[in-house]
Amino acid sequence: MRSVYLDHAATSPLLPEVKAKMLEVMDLELGNASALHRPGHSAKRIIDDAREQVARLINASPEEIIFTSGGSESNNTVINIFRDHKITISAIEHPSILEPARKFAKELVLLEVDKYGFIQVDDIPHDTDLVSVMFANNELGTIEPVADIVKHVHSKVAPLKSEQNNVHFGKNQNTPVWVSRRQELRKLSEATRHRTYVHTDATQAIGKVKLDVRQLDVDYLTFSAHKIGGPTGIGVLYVKKDSPYRPLIYGGHQENQRRAGTMNTIAIAGLGAATKWAWDNWSCRQYEKVAILRDKLRERILAEVPYSSVNSPVEKCLPNLLNMSFQAAEGESIQLYLDVEGVIVGTGSACAAGDIKPSHVLMAARHDAEVAHSSIRFSLGLNTTEADIERVMTVLPAIVKRLQGISTVQVADVVNAEHSNE
Amino acid sequence: MSEVKCDVKTNDSGPDWIYSEIVKEHFLNPRNFLMGDERLFESDATGIVGNPICGDQMKMYIKVQDDIITDIRWKTYGCASAIASTSALSEIVKGKNLDDALKVGPTEITEYLGGLPKHKFHCSVLGHEALAAAIENYRKIA
Repeated sequence: MRSVYLDHAATSPLLPEVKAKMLEVMDLELGNASALHRPGHSAKRIIDDAREQVARLINASPEEIIFTSGGSESNNTVINIFRDHKITISAIEHPSILEPARKFAKELVLLEVDKYGFIQVDDIPHDTDLVSVMFANNELGTIEPVADIVKHVHSKVAPLKSEQNNVHFGKNQNTPVWVSRRQELRKLSEATRHRTYVHTDATQAIGKVKLDVRQLDVDYLTFSAHKIGGPTGIGVLYVKKDSPYRPLIYGGHQENQRRAGTMNTIAIAGLGAATKWAWDNWSCRQYEKVAILRDKLRERILAEVPYSSVNSPVEKCLPNLLNMSFQAAEGESIQLYLDVEGVIVGTGSACAAGDIKPSHVLMAARHDAEVAHSSIRFSLGLNTTEADIERVMTVLPAIVKRLQGISTVQVADVVNAEHSNE
Repeated sequence: MSEVKCDVKTNDSGPDWIYSEIVKEHFLNPRNFLMGDERLFESDATGIVGNPICGDQMKMYIKVQDDIITDIRWKTYGCASAIASTSALSEIVKGKNLDDALKVGPTEITEYLGGLPKHKFHCSVLGHEALAAAIENYRKIA
């Protein structure tokens, strides 16, 4: 029997179309994409094609797309641009934003979130240089008001910083020049004197909800291939033309001198194929059907599993994500019992993966370590079926009841846990 | 006591399972657990350590006759290795006298389980401490 895979938010299975494209590219005679000979040029054409597919999906221009090794590198790159500047982020960002921001910001503001993980736009301080708030949270599915954040910083923050015209980092982003660190800092401080920049980590949202960088008007946007059926190890950083930029990796002219290193042609072809699939198949529209299954799963768990509660928001939530807590039952144990039954889910705490601290996201939203330790993340995919939901509901109630039965934590009528859902 | 020595996932750990086969067996088929109302087991003493807020809590219930642990039950809130640690400990100490039971430390529990990942070693420590607390409580009242 095939497993019921409900951990798509961690990584999604490789799409057959992506695999086919990557195999096709592997069989070509390809050179280094930077070389002038024919094999080099062939590789460059594959990369250019992928860049166009990626740009089309988020309504960007191809030259605004930088290929990176993944979401974490893209996020680190953005924070590194604003090293020694004032940075504002939400308390529930991915560690690849949180940790570099803690390390490199001159001043760091952590935006608090409500019990569902939503930030308040008005909490953004007026003198900040970079605001980085994820488009949708990876553990809760919460869709943050990114468009409102941009409007807020443009309408309120920026005029307070200065009424002068914007001074940009470079005159033309397409022809950056090598500058010394001192020059870089001077240019960046000029750029941020008059304007606040906005980054959003859209790694979880890509392909699931509409993302249009022109409409959002963000300066930077991150996503990675493996959440939309592409390979791991390849990601995207969108940088709006003329927004400040500083490479994280030096030592080569690749990506218009913005990211050194030989181009990863095969993985880029896979990323291109994954974004093409999302575009051609109207994937955002398909996820509306996934949301119906997700809602069904939520309502059935609430009705059939005793002492269960919902951590994800019902409105403004990713269509495929559901985070729930099960009082008195620990998340990793639930996850591993489900695993034995062929149901694959994620834990908020990632306990088994080596981190025994409760999830910083659930702690920021709920301020309750027991709720955090007792949480499970269900993340559905386009291949999730009614039968999969049925399978979960065949095994989940008994697993949770058993753990509640042997738990030191007393649920109200633990004696009758067998019947408490009635 | 060597923590490093226990910091292994042994060769027994299956290709598709994060813990050793023995941990898996004790997790899937735990021994001597106390299901439901704890008053259903008439113990002579109990000991509880840990905190759900930290992710793990264990409680040991012992029956003692002539200084021998004649019966034992446990309750655990925690991960697979926490459940396996209390289950294994209950098997190891049943029938032992109190002094010998106290000597069963985290290292013995971990070795019995065929190893625990380093960041899970504290589960065996908590198991040992819960039993030690139960024995101490027993000696206070006996």
